[in-house]
Amino acid sequence: MNEQDRQKRRALVVLQVVIYGYLALMIAIQLHLWAQRDW
Amino acid sequence: MDPTSTSTDDLPAGTSPEHSRLHNRIRRVCYVLLFALVVEGALTFPLLALWYGFPELSPHEVCDELQKVMYTDDTRECQQPVPLGDAPFGGPAEAEGQTTARDEWGVQPRPQYPTVHYRDLVENKERREANADDDDPEAADDPDAADG
Amino acid sequence: MTTTQLAGAGAGGGTIGLDDHAEESRDAQRRADRWLIGGTILMGTAVLGIFGLPLFLKGLSLQRQAQRSGLSVRPIIVTLIGYMVMLDAALNTFGWAIDLFANHTLVSRLFLPTWGNMFDAGYFWHYNELAVGGTSAPGEKAWEVVGVFVVFPMRIAACIGLLQMKRWGHQWMILTCWTGVIMWVGYVANMTVYADIRFTGVVFPVIGWWLYDIFYITPFVSLPYLHTVNREIFTD
Repeated sequence: MNEQDRQKRRALVVLQVVIYGYLALMIAIQLHLWAQRDW
Repeated sequence: MDPTSTSTDDLPAGTSPEHSRLHNRIRRVCYVLLFALVVEGALTFPLLALWYGFPELSPHEVCDELQKVMYTDDTRECQQPVPLGDAPFGGPAEAEGQTTARDEWGVQPRPQYPTVHYRDLVENKERREANADDDDPEAADDPDAADG
Repeated sequence: MTTTQLAGAGAGGGTIGLDDHAEESRDAQRRADRWLIGGTILMGTAVLGIFGLPLFLKGLSLQRQAQRSGLSVRPIIVTLIGYMVMLDAALNTFGWAIDLFANHTLVSRLFLPTWGNMFDAGYFWHYNELAVGGTSAPGEKAWEVVGVFVVFPMRIAACIGLLQMKRWGHQWMILTCWTGVIMWVGYVANMTVYADIRFTGVVFPVIGWWLYDIFYITPFVSLPYLHTVNREIFTD
């Protein structure tokens, strides 16, 4: 039970890291494009 | 779940001790999101109204001026009202077939319209009306009229 | 109704006491919910949201009071998540629904293109030029359709089930939060691919949109809770 719980928690942490990491990546790409082009 | 052991921790139902910190954090983040959504929802309308020329421009005039920028066409106007049977359920869309908008076309279109700064739409309208007056011979005695 | 550790404090013992307790709890919850629902409806209109917030907070405080006096009411966090995700769906649906169905009304042609001109030119560029009207940004109509017809109705239904402490509500909520992940990933990717259309000439490019829309991540935030809460508190 404990092991299962711990695995679940790790998976949830990974999920959060991946999601917010993706958003941060998209922001970075958009900012880069903004710097590169004349918006 | 053992009621006596958790009653001292005062945990909410469904939250076991190892998850209580996580659940607390999530609860607090929800409060932040809630306040933020409400505040930004409330501020959006006044911000947009002021920026785009209200109350000096009536809503219809804001719509007109906005479309003039959107389609780079000083004669463009907001058709109002559009009957219910018309677009989008029947009849052509308002700007369908327009030819005045400026874009660099290609697989990655690049719009060419200018940015609308704070209350630019009001200035646009005034400038356009001043120019129209210039073309009008009766305005020749206006000392501020632009020359040529 | 759940009969977990909270039940002990208020009940006098015996079946009659427990029935009274259950009824009292239900009434307290219902009373709180009236304020919560009223608040959420007002907040869902965005412009009247500032009036809805105090109502909502009053509902929360009523519920907290009931909880402290030993009644079996919904956990605060379930209430928060349930109503917030519903608010999220309502606000999203409002914008996209008027773009789909009411794009030639004055309200629509004012609100969306001005917002678009300021934050996301997808709602300004060639607005109302497509035969279906509304936004002309590539891919945008598709996201609106899937949102308004599939994701947001499901989300609202899930919230209702969750707030009723039903097992299916909890399950649907998990499902709909994951579809929220799909929406965010796809939608943002589409925006980025067509970034020139979405941000050229915009008053507050990139930063404006993100600051505005980042608060719609309630589905992401709820997922860890939904996956770690004890499922037993949700009944059939």
